[in-house]
Amino acid sequence: MAASDQLMFARQLGATARLLIWLLVGVACVVADSRYHALDSLRSGLSLMLQPVREVLRVPADAAAELGGFFTRHRQLQTERDALRAERARLWVSVNAAREISRENAELRALLQLQQRPGQRVVHAALLYRGHDWFVQQMMLDQGAAAKLRSGLPVVDARGLVGQLSQVYPGSSEVTLVSNPEQLTPVVIERTGQRGLAAGNGRGQMELRYMPGHTDVRINDRLLTSGIDRVYPAGIPVARVTRVSHLQSGPYLRVAAVPLAGLDRARAVLVLLAEPPPVQAPLPPPSGAGKP
Amino acid sequence: MSPTHSSGSWRRILGSLALALVLEQLPWSGWTLALRPDFLLIGVLFWVLHQPARIGFGAAFLAGLMADFQNGGVFGQHAMAYVAGVYLVLFLRLRLLQFDPLRQAAQLFPIFLLVQLLLLLVGWLAGHPPIELAVLLPVASNTVMWFVLAGVLRLWHGKGMQDRA
Repeated sequence: MAASDQLMFARQLGATARLLIWLLVGVACVVADSRYHALDSLRSGLSLMLQPVREVLRVPADAAAELGGFFTRHRQLQTERDALRAERARLWVSVNAAREISRENAELRALLQLQQRPGQRVVHAALLYRGHDWFVQQMMLDQGAAAKLRSGLPVVDARGLVGQLSQVYPGSSEVTLVSNPEQLTPVVIERTGQRGLAAGNGRGQMELRYMPGHTDVRINDRLLTSGIDRVYPAGIPVARVTRVSHLQSGPYLRVAAVPLAGLDRARAVLVLLAEPPPVQAPLPPPSGAGKP
Repeated sequence: MSPTHSSGSWRRILGSLALALVLEQLPWSGWTLALRPDFLLIGVLFWVLHQPARIGFGAAFLAGLMADFQNGGVFGQHAMAYVAGVYLVLFLRLRLLQFDPLRQAAQLFPIFLLVQLLLLLVGWLAGHPPIELAVLLPVASNTVMWFVLAGVLRLWHGKGMQDRA
């Protein structure tokens, strides 16, 4: 019946011609996707289809971690408990201080009649999958549009800023990490208050761009989000400066920093759901007409 | 001999490709991710070598699109690289079928290398410059994986998988 693999009387195109045709189709795909973003729906459909598979495949790793945790030695647990108690005591002190400060801050804001910061809600998400492409620094989370996520929201873990949601599918979402070279993060140097722009360098680290040569930056300075972009709330730790060097050729400093968040280890992250800042509608002219 | 003998039934082909896809879905991370062989590519090239009438350019292109989605790259990047790999395997097919697993793997090494370089090139043109040489690690792991796969199958079948229908 199907004897088409007897190539003697082949009635099909030669291999080279077919290669060229498929390469043309490939080029068309690349252009359609990277220039016109025409294939995003395909991506979202595939994501929906593969979501259950990914969830199931995460189970063995989770179970292994669970089992490993079960056999943790008792002594280790005790030391950890002691350390945690000590840390809790310390944290309580700072919580009290923070409460005091926030009360004071509220009063000051009221005094200045500043706009209250929009309420923060968080959504817990777990790392589903990390892409293999060395080009794109991103990861997939197990929460999506169903949890009211939308693209652009900041993602943090316990130590600092992880990145920003760049694609949201129904049941999952994609985070572009702060270490992505195309991801710019407005930061402020904690010690001096100097503002700047941090970007990834693609090798899991970050750099502070366009810092004039006389800027006061030192090793171990922490970089926090500055909040002026209205995307990230102010004050989230982003990175720690590891190297500062003067370039011979340019007016700027070269400042290298390591991200504080566990970009390649974090398994549980938080997505910060800030309400979009309310647009101040112009007040209606006071006409005096009573409203029902 | 009927061309539809058991080693090349559709069920086996699709089952093995689905298994490759599932293996890629595992939560790889860190150095295991850097070393992860490209299971889909190995699966596709394997079936092109042994069942060229069934798995060819179109299937490779589809598998490549899945790999593109998988790795978060541009659609078409892996697809084009896989198609080129299929072409090379078809070109060398009769020659490759003569070899034992070790030599076969050694012959496939340049093919894997070319596929990976094409992958990098397309990604580069699409706006993501490559970053470090670790990108080429899967070439080695693909070759090892091919050797293991071909060796295991040969043991399994007693004589080997050199079926020419």
